[in-house]
Amino acid sequence: MVLLFLEVSVRPLGVACSQDTNHNNNHHQDQHSGNATHVKKAFPVLSLDYHHIKAPFEVSLWVLLASLMKLVPAARQLPVTSGGLTEHQPGKPGEDTALNCLGEKPSVSGFHLVPRLSGIVPESCLLITVGLLVGGLIKLAGEDVPPVLDSRLFFLCLLPPIILDAGYFLPIRPFMENLGTILMFAVVGTLWNAFFIGGLLYAVCQIQPANPSILHQLELLPCLLFGSIVSAVDPVAVLAVFEEIHINELLHILVFGESLLNDAVTVVLYHLFEEYSGVGTVTVMDGFLGIISFLVVACGGVLVGALYGILAAFTSRFTSHTRVIEPLFVFVYSYMAYLSAEMFHLSGIMALIACGAVMRPYVEANISHKSHTTIKYFLKMWSSVSETLIFIFLGVATVDGKHAWNWTFVTVTVVLCLVARVMGVVGLTFVINKFRIVKLTTKDQFIVAYGGLRGAIAFSLGFLLDERVFPLRGMFLTAIITVIFFTVFVQGMTIKPLVELLAVKKKQEAKRSINEEIHTQFLDHLLTGIEDICGHYGHHHWKDKLNRFNKKYVKKCLIAGERSKEPQLIAFYHKMEMKQAIELVESGGGIKLPSALPSTVSMQNIQPKKPPPPKPVERALPQLPKGREEEIRKILRSNLQRTRQRLRSYNRHTLVADPYEDGLGDLLIKKQKMIELEKKIKDMNNYLTVPAAASDSPTMRRARLASDPQAYNMKQQSDSVPTIQVDLASPQSPDSVNLMDEFRQAKQQQQEDDEQGLMMKPPSGPHKPGEAGEPREQKLMRCLSDPGPSADEEEDEPFLP
Amino acid sequence: MGSSSSSINNIPNAEQLVQETGFSAAHVLRLYERFQFLDKDGSGQLRPEDFGAVRELAMNPIGDRIISAFFSPGYSSLHMFETYRKLWTLPPLFGFWLISDLRTQTEPETDPSRSRPTAARGNSDVLRAMLGLQVTEEQLQSIAERAIQEADLDQDDAISFDEFRKSLEKVNIDHKMSIRFLS
Repeated sequence: MVLLFLEVSVRPLGVACSQDTNHNNNHHQDQHSGNATHVKKAFPVLSLDYHHIKAPFEVSLWVLLASLMKLVPAARQLPVTSGGLTEHQPGKPGEDTALNCLGEKPSVSGFHLVPRLSGIVPESCLLITVGLLVGGLIKLAGEDVPPVLDSRLFFLCLLPPIILDAGYFLPIRPFMENLGTILMFAVVGTLWNAFFIGGLLYAVCQIQPANPSILHQLELLPCLLFGSIVSAVDPVAVLAVFEEIHINELLHILVFGESLLNDAVTVVLYHLFEEYSGVGTVTVMDGFLGIISFLVVACGGVLVGALYGILAAFTSRFTSHTRVIEPLFVFVYSYMAYLSAEMFHLSGIMALIACGAVMRPYVEANISHKSHTTIKYFLKMWSSVSETLIFIFLGVATVDGKHAWNWTFVTVTVVLCLVARVMGVVGLTFVINKFRIVKLTTKDQFIVAYGGLRGAIAFSLGFLLDERVFPLRGMFLTAIITVIFFTVFVQGMTIKPLVELLAVKKKQEAKRSINEEIHTQFLDHLLTGIEDICGHYGHHHWKDKLNRFNKKYVKKCLIAGERSKEPQLIAFYHKMEMKQAIELVESGGGIKLPSALPSTVSMQNIQPKKPPPPKPVERALPQLPKGREEEIRKILRSNLQRTRQRLRSYNRHTLVADPYEDGLGDLLIKKQKMIELEKKIKDMNNYLTVPAAASDSPTMRRARLASDPQAYNMKQQSDSVPTIQVDLASPQSPDSVNLMDEFRQAKQQQQEDDEQGLMMKPPSGPHKPGEAGEPREQKLMRCLSDPGPSADEEEDEPFLP
Repeated sequence: MGSSSSSINNIPNAEQLVQETGFSAAHVLRLYERFQFLDKDGSGQLRPEDFGAVRELAMNPIGDRIISAFFSPGYSSLHMFETYRKLWTLPPLFGFWLISDLRTQTEPETDPSRSRPTAARGNSDVLRAMLGLQVTEEQLQSIAERAIQEADLDQDDAISFDEFRKSLEKVNIDHKMSIRFLS
């Protein structure tokens, strides 16, 4: 709250400073005009020039306010909850906790009002309230409220990050499976809502018998326009509320998908009615044109988005040498897709979604792990701040706006919105269920209907209306705001208890396992096969065709290097292993880690078991057959080109026991250590245990991690190759490899004596011959170069379902 | 594809089929037409070669598995009636087959001196087929290992049917294993 005061105090200061600058200007003019009258003033050691930085400063203040709003409740809860800020939310482990703190934490103790409050009230409500307060304060201070929810600012700056975040992380598989349903709700549902609300409003407005109020002025077309504005389900509000209730995937994607796709309908209806409101009549021809326009807007938007997405994917193919700007490409291309679509009055939202969804599989295959993390965090950060700002601004704009309260209009609007939504959903579900395999139950219908929240988009569209054409604009805005407040506050607050009450299925929180992945793919093939047998060209058939086309042509174009050939299952597998490795380390160096057991065992079993060679210690330098050596050099040469330029250089000393800056190297080491420890404690008869990480010095692993090598296929090497380890990370010549190899040999000998060394070897386990370690190391490397672990479940999905 | 006698009455055992499989009459008719289409030599029986003639099936990685599933071991031809029944009962079998494939492939070694590749030469065909030719043996094995580990809840290195079922409870099999026929 200090900030509010700061802000309020800044404003009068701003006024004062503008006077100050005027003063300075006058002073300058004095100087120029009268050279003779050169008054010597003391040199201003410290001067205040607020005007200079006014605009960016205010923007920063708003953003800071928004960010602090996210922190404050969490900070207040700090002494209360035991886990502090790092409490894990179900379903969103790790990093994303901080972003969604509000509203998620259950109240732990009773004596703090805020935690309990934020458990009941969704974040969006709190933010709107804050906005109201801020707006009120500003008004009290006498300043005029900046037009914060200016439509240009909203549509060009605040909305795109949220939509891009949604589109990039859109779970494609459920989306596509339910696409028909989603489209029905979005298109037909929104149309129904718009016409129903508009028409009935007009009828209601006309029936005021006795006292002719201003409502009588309301024509049909403005009514329909109003109906179309207020009927669109808002993605921002839906996201904000649904995030917190963790509803099952199907419902989430239905409502959310609907909110995204109805943008096209809204755009068309809005422009159609706005265009013709001036004229006053709409002919059938116009209606027909409207339909065509809708198709153009929707498909055009998607095409524009897809085009930019492909461009981005293609560009990312060549970024292997300049990894730092990879995220920039993603953002800029997406934003340009949005702007280009808006330029043609196509649906910018659909363009953005299409761009993100199309680009993602290919870009993620091309970019480095760190870029992936950067993209993810930037998107989450921007969308989070945007969302907060939008709600705050809604509050501010409410205080500021010119309101014209009309009881009839407003209440009828609210009631009609609800009724229309319910009727629409029920009616549509009745029709849709005939075509769906998985029917929508009544509970589902209720949630879908109840989750139809209106939000800031409606307000901005209303704000855009021209006062001259729509004299009743103020009334419209008031009604829109009331509907928004009603849906966000009432529906937003009650949806969580209702979900509990109705025992709606919640989101499943277990992680995706590789079994599911295998079986999902398997089922796809199976069903496609059966469809082929039956001669039925159904859903699976076309999906299969698309996948095949994708694999054959598109991937080759858009994915750099060898990864274009990598099967999806392998990528998924690597991702899972990586994730598990990281979790293993994060969960601490505990000795007994039962949960870790499966993965560690599986990681260990990667290499084929070989009989222990007689005397590992005595091998000095490897004796390689000539052909083998050539092979290795070839591999080195071909893969070294792909490594990153910046690599740490090594010397004998750093190879030994340095702490590593790269945390990833660390965690693999720790994992290895834990594996060793486990084995030591476990029964010796466990034959599934393995060999050592001993042959790998930690620094070499770090070396590998530092680079981002592309995939390559390991050739099977026979038993005869002893301990050569192909270390592909070093940019230097193969000589250095031999150097490190030598060193490793020495170290092994050293470790043979020292049982308690940093890298332990199991006392009697079979010694892992070198090349067996290779595939694993390379897999590790691949794991790590893989666009990495993601905390969100949605991202675990295979890229192309 | 459409035969001249495209009425449900011409199909032998039609009512029995409808009753047993739960397909509607229209479905049965359509399948009958398809059967006749596939049955190139008009013998009233389907052979594996007839199935192989379906082009898309050839491209399917597990195509031959599907075909073999239609034919119980020992039989080489399939009457129409059986075709229907197989279609009905087919899907749940497959999943279990897959897992049992994986399992035989990665039997835990009791004798460390025996090297792995011999044991792995079992039928990991399905996984391999799905993954294509670019995977190495180790990757295949590691994936299979992991799959088994994830499903194996009682740590006995074997997957019982219950474990199998549990591992797939998120997948919603009954939702997925359905094909809509006549739109």
